[in-house]
Amino acid sequence: MATIQTLPITAPVLPKGYTPPAASSSSRLSAPHPTGHRVLLPVGQAHLNHLKLALHHAHDFDSFDAHLATEREAKAKLLASEAGLEDDLGVGDEEETPELLALDPKEWKKQDHYAVLGLSKFRYKATADQIKIAHRKKVLKHHPDKKASSTPAETILGINVNTNDDAFFKCIQKAHEVLTNAEKRRQFDSVDPAFLDAEEELTSVTATEFKNKKLDFFKTFTPIFELYERFSRVQPVPGLGTIDATKAEVEGFYDFWYNFDSWRSFEWWDKEVNEGSDSRDDKRYTEKKNKSERARRKKEDTAKLRGLVDLTLSLDPRIKMIKQAEKEAREAKKAAAQPGKPAKKTKAQEEEEKRKAEEEARKKEEEEKAARAEAKKAKAAAANAAKKARRQQRAAEEAAAAS
Amino acid sequence: MSTTPVPNGSAVGSSEGSSLPPIVGINFGNSYASIAVFTKEGVAECIANEEGERQIACAISFQGEEIYIGNQATHQLVKNAKNTITGFRNLLGKKFSEIPQSQLQSTKSAPVIQHPDIPDEPAYKVQILQPAPSPLPPSTQPSAFTTPAASQAATPRSEPVPAERILTVSEVNTMFLASLVESAENFLGKKGLGAVITVPTAFTEAQKDALEKAATDAGVHVLQLLDEAGAAAVTTTSDIWAAELPADRTQLIVDLGSSSLALTLLSIRSGLAFVLASSHTTSVGGDQIDEKLIRFFAADFTKKTKVPLAVCPATDIADQRAEARLRLAIEHTKRTISASPGAATCSVESLKDGLDYTGSINRLRFDLLARPVYSAVADAVKALLESAQVDAHHVDELVYVGGSASLPGLDEALITDAGFAEDVATPFARGTVVGGGVGDPTTVLARGCAVQGALLASIPDDERHREVRAAYQRGGKGNEVQATQRTVGVLVPGAEVKVEGGLGGVWIPVVHKETALPARRTVRFDVELAEDAPALAFEVWEVTESIRVEKITAAAEAEADEEEPEEEPEEVEVKHKEIKKEVFLGAVQMDAKLGIKTKGKSTDSGKTSTTVEVQCVIETSGALRVDVKEVGEGGAAGSLRVPAPGA
Repeated sequence: MATIQTLPITAPVLPKGYTPPAASSSSRLSAPHPTGHRVLLPVGQAHLNHLKLALHHAHDFDSFDAHLATEREAKAKLLASEAGLEDDLGVGDEEETPELLALDPKEWKKQDHYAVLGLSKFRYKATADQIKIAHRKKVLKHHPDKKASSTPAETILGINVNTNDDAFFKCIQKAHEVLTNAEKRRQFDSVDPAFLDAEEELTSVTATEFKNKKLDFFKTFTPIFELYERFSRVQPVPGLGTIDATKAEVEGFYDFWYNFDSWRSFEWWDKEVNEGSDSRDDKRYTEKKNKSERARRKKEDTAKLRGLVDLTLSLDPRIKMIKQAEKEAREAKKAAAQPGKPAKKTKAQEEEEKRKAEEEARKKEEEEKAARAEAKKAKAAAANAAKKARRQQRAAEEAAAAS
Repeated sequence: MSTTPVPNGSAVGSSEGSSLPPIVGINFGNSYASIAVFTKEGVAECIANEEGERQIACAISFQGEEIYIGNQATHQLVKNAKNTITGFRNLLGKKFSEIPQSQLQSTKSAPVIQHPDIPDEPAYKVQILQPAPSPLPPSTQPSAFTTPAASQAATPRSEPVPAERILTVSEVNTMFLASLVESAENFLGKKGLGAVITVPTAFTEAQKDALEKAATDAGVHVLQLLDEAGAAAVTTTSDIWAAELPADRTQLIVDLGSSSLALTLLSIRSGLAFVLASSHTTSVGGDQIDEKLIRFFAADFTKKTKVPLAVCPATDIADQRAEARLRLAIEHTKRTISASPGAATCSVESLKDGLDYTGSINRLRFDLLARPVYSAVADAVKALLESAQVDAHHVDELVYVGGSASLPGLDEALITDAGFAEDVATPFARGTVVGGGVGDPTTVLARGCAVQGALLASIPDDERHREVRAAYQRGGKGNEVQATQRTVGVLVPGAEVKVEGGLGGVWIPVVHKETALPARRTVRFDVELAEDAPALAFEVWEVTESIRVEKITAAAEAEADEEEPEEEPEEVEVKHKEIKKEVFLGAVQMDAKLGIKTKGKSTDSGKTSTTVEVQCVIETSGALRVDVKEVGEGGAAGSLRVPAPGA
């Protein structure tokens, strides 16, 4: 880091037809005064730098510059860690865009609560402590008492960001309320706008598209499952894995995702019961509508995920490999079963065992499938029963109301 | 419930917690000391001791059972001079036989005697009162013969016993340093400080050893004993000193203490400092100003009260006490004179024969009184510059250190008498002296020590840095350097300047003479470009600088203003800095790519210019590398290599 001296000089124009004086090739600097001509006072930062330059870097400025740069970085890091003695758990400071500051607290259902609290980089992963810290930070900054300053009004995009206006503060409070309530947070996380954007982007892939564009299987599908794994009630969630995953791993993966137990729900998008209306019927009607809408959405969501797993399964190169291996094993066994080849007997036996194991696994899978189907049926039946019960109940109620 | 009492905090400072570096910088003068530490703002600052004094008098006084240290002890000089010790720093490390007779017997303070037990060791003898042995604690066991008259109260303390105490010089210094360190520890709230202490350049190795021992006994870890000039250089090369001063400059440090004058001519090259010449004399000092001032006020007292008062030297005991009182009082007068342009008063209650005295002196009268001292300083400066063969006009900056150097009259007198350039940089010119500014001569050294201490503490204590640390020890290696002989710079050829300067362009010095090697300097400046041809050329020259003295008769000036035609024609020397081209080393030519046209209504409007950066690197071998580049992305660049001499 060489200090640059800036001189307040403007040198004149080069005269026309200027030619530099002929330099003799033997012109040199006058020989420096020999060592010991001067003795430095051992004081100051510059002297320390000089010593290090001489002792550690063999008078090489470039190497010393590099050393100073790393030292400075380390120091800055140390300072930063010292300045942030109160660990903010990595919440940090997020930039507040004018759009964010201009949010309307009345539209709180539509706001991104994580962005409001400056937690966009954590989202559903933000811990309760982080939310607390982030909220405190934002409140310190945006509390109406702090905003009422005498500084001239500052406008961004025509919005006065420096007034007594406490709109954004209300947004902060709403976001805090939502994110600190586990139930509300679950509802919001289910329909987190950032998740929806990512979902739209990632799950648009189709089989034909995949084949036409010759996309990479793992690059395409790994992020999809990583995106959905947040909704699993069972954690940790098995990932898609790599091409050399074992058969058990692959099967475990599909097993898990076919039985995916999601906590995702869609209450967040419920229609509000009209505030002004006292009508019980209105309320009931809206509630009913919301409920069916939620069920529909949930069904859609489950179907979508199932479709994705189906698609993945159909395109999974590992499945093909496993099938190939099985086929080979079968053929090998067939070959072994033919007479006149006693030498291969031991191998054939091995194959036999393998085949048996595989068969067992397949059987198990089939059983599971059957069980699933049964479960589904049972569920449907239960739903039907419930519906029936409700209908009866309503009828009873109506009858009661009529009487 | 627990009944164990829990103390609510403790008076003992913790050794951690605060981020302030555990460093104290001590300016240990013979008459006054000051201490500096790092404050919360991250700057070194001179702090006050418990009495609120930043200028702590080096004095210790024994009065009965009490011991006074610092400015309180100086008050004891009036009535208790025999038990008051001053001027003990300079005796450190000296043998009794080495101390001149004149210093042994002092009428103003305790005399130096031969230590009764240790041979050839100077010591002080003071009268003290020793506390009597403490009485026995009241008996807790009830006596078998308990009588109703028996009291549980302790036996009253008996009277203290008068005693004599012999103190070696080292013990006295330790006592004083310990009090300084304690003040710093109380300020920082932590124990076990590291210290950097100033030593006068004249100190011998034995004296430095003695000082280090005294400091270690006082409970500080001495990181470095720093030359007073070095401590001043730390402060003057720091960022806060003066941003507008060039990084390469010649600096004269004028250290006018109360008993001595030290002059040091420093070459400062981008923070690296070395001594070009130095001188030290004890014949000039602030005490002489004191004496003149005391005589002035004594005469004034006699005039006002008709009471005879003979001072400096005073023979009568009453006169001696009056002198001591005046000496204390004028401390305030001098500070007022330094701080404000108005008159300063001096008030002493019961100066002599029970008569009070109040007098005042204005700055003009004061400067008149102190003129001989100022002249003596100027003479010493002239002698120093002559011995170093440096012209006064080549001194870029004056730095004042020491209490007496706070007087603005000294600055004015020095600039005119010693013939410095009118625009020489001084703390007075910048206005940083008064009000605790960075240029305050009384705190420069202590702050420098604190900064240096923090720097030394930041060097990691490992094998890799062992050599680096060694360089800071006394007699450390690695501080001897090579230095350039002549100034190297670039000449930007230009038509206009050709006639006047004779150089044929604008001269921009890059690496000044007497720069320690290896050296690297980067300068940045604007170059104007022709409309049609954006050509740039830089000639690299080695030059010598000299001073041309031109004699102008005052008559010529008198003609100009006809108001005073009767003035005798007087020759006035006008000095000009001159640059003589010595060796042409090569040229760098290129075409500018980033010319910017100035717009607007200024005189520069319509002119095209670009900013260039010239970097010169001189290796230890003497090889030169010049890199020229346009500032900005995609700018033109050129370079020049000159091999080492003899290669």
